[in-house]
Amino acid sequence: MADKKEVETTGHQWDDDEGFPLKEYNNPLPKWWLYTFWATIIWSFGYWVLYPTWPLVDSFTKGTLGWSMHGEYNKEMDAARAHQKPFNDKLEKLSLKEISQDNQLLQYAISGGKALFGDNCAPCHGSGGVGVKAGGFPTLADDDWLFGGDLETIHETISNGRVGQMPAHLKSAGGNFTDAQVNDLTAYVLSLSGKSQDATAAVRGDALFHGEAACNACHGDKGKGSLKDTVNGQPPPPVGAPNLSDAIWLYGGDPKVVRESIATGRTGLMPAWAKGSKDTGRQLDPLAIKQLTIYVHSLGGGQ
Amino acid sequence: MQHSTIEKSIPLMSILTLVLVAIGGIVEIVPLFYIKSTIEKVEGMRPYTPLELKGRDLYIREGCYNCHSQMIRPFRDETERYGHYSLAAESMYDHPFQWGSKRTGPDLARIGGKYSNEWHKAHMLKPQHVVPESVMPAYPWLQENVLKTDDIEKRMQVLSMVGVPYSAEQIANAKQDLAAQASGSSDASGLNKRYGNKVPKADFDGQPDKITELDALVAYLQMLGTLVDFSGQQAKAR
Repeated sequence: MADKKEVETTGHQWDDDEGFPLKEYNNPLPKWWLYTFWATIIWSFGYWVLYPTWPLVDSFTKGTLGWSMHGEYNKEMDAARAHQKPFNDKLEKLSLKEISQDNQLLQYAISGGKALFGDNCAPCHGSGGVGVKAGGFPTLADDDWLFGGDLETIHETISNGRVGQMPAHLKSAGGNFTDAQVNDLTAYVLSLSGKSQDATAAVRGDALFHGEAACNACHGDKGKGSLKDTVNGQPPPPVGAPNLSDAIWLYGGDPKVVRESIATGRTGLMPAWAKGSKDTGRQLDPLAIKQLTIYVHSLGGGQ
Repeated sequence: MQHSTIEKSIPLMSILTLVLVAIGGIVEIVPLFYIKSTIEKVEGMRPYTPLELKGRDLYIREGCYNCHSQMIRPFRDETERYGHYSLAAESMYDHPFQWGSKRTGPDLARIGGKYSNEWHKAHMLKPQHVVPESVMPAYPWLQENVLKTDDIEKRMQVLSMVGVPYSAEQIANAKQDLAAQASGSSDASGLNKRYGNKVPKADFDGQPDKITELDALVAYLQMLGTLVDFSGQQAKAR
């Protein structure tokens, strides 16, 4: 420190305790700092000219570059759309089947569909379409379909939605059957998948199933559901009645839940997602629905 | 003026600091109140219905804003996921707005109509029932607590004092409109007349015998982001 030349002080002395005067140095700012400071101020004038800056009476200066946040966003979107255009044009023109046969297009549709699925469908159907039993939201990753797992049917389901209506059977819930009869029906339904403990109740339930309760009208003579069964040799109406003879359950397969389904009924609602339908807030355009169809079809159970 | 003079006088320094900060405020904040393009002109915005307003109060009470934003920013990754970016006009009746900046959960600016009422009910009772990987806590008391509605007129009056255009008729009929929207069955012609036909009317919580806090919260969520019609050329680059 001794070599350095004496630095100026502010001239004020606070204290002179025991010969150590407390003074404040008045060091000049470093030159590089000072010049940078002035340069940023000059830079700001350029900014005022080029970019939106100053407020006016009922508007603001727009800047000579014409930059705006939303303009920047539109540019970003246009660039993305231009990049996707060759694929989207093909997606639009080709049928679902043709898309699934073109490997590159298939990959494109699956990755687009995956993103759409994650935001729009996964809240009910679970990530990857594994289903959510508590609410009766079906698994999409297996080959057990309610309305059909081919491309066209999946497309129809997503576009226009589905309603699965299981009526209530217990008298107190608006149905026509007694407590005991509902128990019998439960026993029979469980026996279809080999889970019933009460064979005699199941026999009585069998008679109701194919007789007074007419469950077979939708679930089929063998209880194999709308898609896999027949009623008197004819296919049942396409109402999405589930297969009762396998281990896959829409609302759960333990006796209490099965009884509840029979007693008070179930209503399963798949909203319609196509633009123009009024069921959902976020309406999907035809391209998005096509990609979703391909993605759901690819989850494992596509037919 | 020597800066040593300013430094040695606290009152003088305070006054000059205030003047300096005020200049910044006047230049940066005040213009937003009078420049017309700050709030876009859009079709469809309306004040909240009484039920939605109560739902919004619950949204704030439960601290939903701690994890959910209501602000879709103009970036591609946001609009591809959530829909059209948020407009200032969409929160012009919010006092205070719920834009937020913390997203532990997803943005909710356009959650309205995206999922069914049943889904919202199941989700509020236990989010993991429908979204197993969710970290959201459960809000089971919402479906048990009967909605307190005795202060609804006062709340609407206060909001109209700060510029929300509630009419005297809307305030006078608040309780009636609230009940009409939450039952989904009783006569809703008054509600439709005062707030438009688009107002979703339902027994949101699936408990027809009472109007609960869940009714209000779901009604609010189902309205979010649905008021402005984006099919036209609403928001051009500014």
